[in-house]
Amino acid sequence: MNAVIASITLRQLLSRRRTLLLLALSALVILVAVLRRLSSTGSDAKFTADLLSTVGIATLMPLVALIFGTGAIGAELEEGTAVYVLAKPITRWMVMTTKLVIAIACSIGLTSVPILVAGLVAGGEGSTRLALAFALASAIGSALYCAIFVALSLVTSRAFIWGLGYVLVWEGFLSGLFTGTRTLSVREQTLAFTQAIANPAADVFKATLPLGTAVVVAAVVGVAAIAISLRRLTRIEIAGEVV
Amino acid sequence: MSVAATEAAAEPQGPSAPVELTDVSRWYGNVVAVNEVSFRLEPGVTGLLGPNGAGKSTLLHLMAGLLAPSAGSVRISGRPAFGDPHVYRVIGLVPEREAVYPFLTGREFVEANAKLQGLPDPAAAARRAIAEVDLTDAQNRPLGGYSKGMRQRAKVAAAFVHDPPILLLDEPFNGMDPRQRLHTMAFLRRLAEEGRTILFSSHILEEVERVADRVLVVIAGRLAASGDFRAIRRLMTDRPHTFTLRSSNDRRLAAELLEEPAVTGVSIEDGLLVAQAADYGAFSRAVAERARQAQVTLYEVLPTDESLESVFSYLVRG
Repeated sequence: MNAVIASITLRQLLSRRRTLLLLALSALVILVAVLRRLSSTGSDAKFTADLLSTVGIATLMPLVALIFGTGAIGAELEEGTAVYVLAKPITRWMVMTTKLVIAIACSIGLTSVPILVAGLVAGGEGSTRLALAFALASAIGSALYCAIFVALSLVTSRAFIWGLGYVLVWEGFLSGLFTGTRTLSVREQTLAFTQAIANPAADVFKATLPLGTAVVVAAVVGVAAIAISLRRLTRIEIAGEVV
Repeated sequence: MSVAATEAAAEPQGPSAPVELTDVSRWYGNVVAVNEVSFRLEPGVTGLLGPNGAGKSTLLHLMAGLLAPSAGSVRISGRPAFGDPHVYRVIGLVPEREAVYPFLTGREFVEANAKLQGLPDPAAAARRAIAEVDLTDAQNRPLGGYSKGMRQRAKVAAAFVHDPPILLLDEPFNGMDPRQRLHTMAFLRRLAEEGRTILFSSHILEEVERVADRVLVVIAGRLAASGDFRAIRRLMTDRPHTFTLRSSNDRRLAAELLEEPAVTGVSIEDGLLVAQAADYGAFSRAVAERARQAQVTLYEVLPTDESLESVFSYLVRG
């Protein structure tokens, strides 16, 4: 970790207008939980699990990671400020890991924290453990998403579109139609982790992907994404005038 | 192709120079941006002159290790420039792109660069660099609110903060007002006198003339001329100047202009009066008087080939 790169990246990610949108989305998860708690129906573990998996894991987590993951390095390359970090006697490995760690930290802050709060507020039987499980699993999911999106931003200048396509089409649409595609879905992997941490026997919530598969695929994808990022950043070229 | 003025900055020879390019080409797909360029930079100020799109930035980025050469070698103090972050200990780079971190203040920006260079006392180094570019008063304001010229100076301070022996600046005077320009030029001159190797690119002849000892002229990706600036400048001033004129009676004016010693040739092409003059200033002073003597009303006098491109193409032909 390089402290200067970390602090610049942090300020860069948080100063974007998009971040406000993310904050609103994070607040929305908590707000729904509060409203449910205050409503006549009261708390219910099934509702809590549904809220955290559909709004938290399936919506908030990928969007936050997409914005922070593609913003950490890709946006800087596009804007032209990356040269101030890359033209320095600092290894590219250091630049990459620092930026990735900051993107992950920001993502966890805006995903796992609101998920935990919403889960605790919504309540229901065994909801404390459920909320903790969702929060922990979403931290792993956020890290994996960020690694993928950072790599994507170093491969293409249209990382945001491709990332959004992956989240909406692959994870949102195809995963519902073809069970095979779920293997390569960060969302499904995260849900598998959640179930493993929460209570495998609980019936309020069922993951579709076996834990073993989720662990192996997530590890392979994560390592591959980091390797691709490092390779791309080591060989990256910054052109002057566009010819 | 090359000009007689080729001197010190030209052919690679002897022990490793601070910056040395040998047969460097760089292409993007089918487009050749830099074509078999060789030169070495020595301490002092070298101006990299050329029209827009000639490949100046590509050359500068090759020297800064931000682009890999497609062929040939680019060496900084004898080591390949690309793929080695350690070259940035000896290089300071001012990129052309204006983008800076808008949320950082000038001081934070320069200090961040000092820290990234691993300097033992980044705050002191930043203070010194900021004072050198005359930004002390504005140092606590965010870069987002800086004028273009102030931003340029902040970039110069950031590039210079670790006191590098080699400084590469891409169009550094862009956006600076005349006073800032003179200040920065004097600063670069002083750095060069202290023994540093400084290269800056520009498409403005006068900028290069004021600061550079040596000049590299790049046209269409090739090194068209290199060497002492004064020699190249002489070639540039000695060339004929062409003017087009519109008047109430072009033929009578043409006859009168031929009487003028400064005029070397007159022709009427496509109904336009075209005059060649050896001396730009003498012609400009004489033309109105000549028109009055011929009792012709002048409507328009336009120098036709004062663009840098035409100066360059003249140079290349020369």
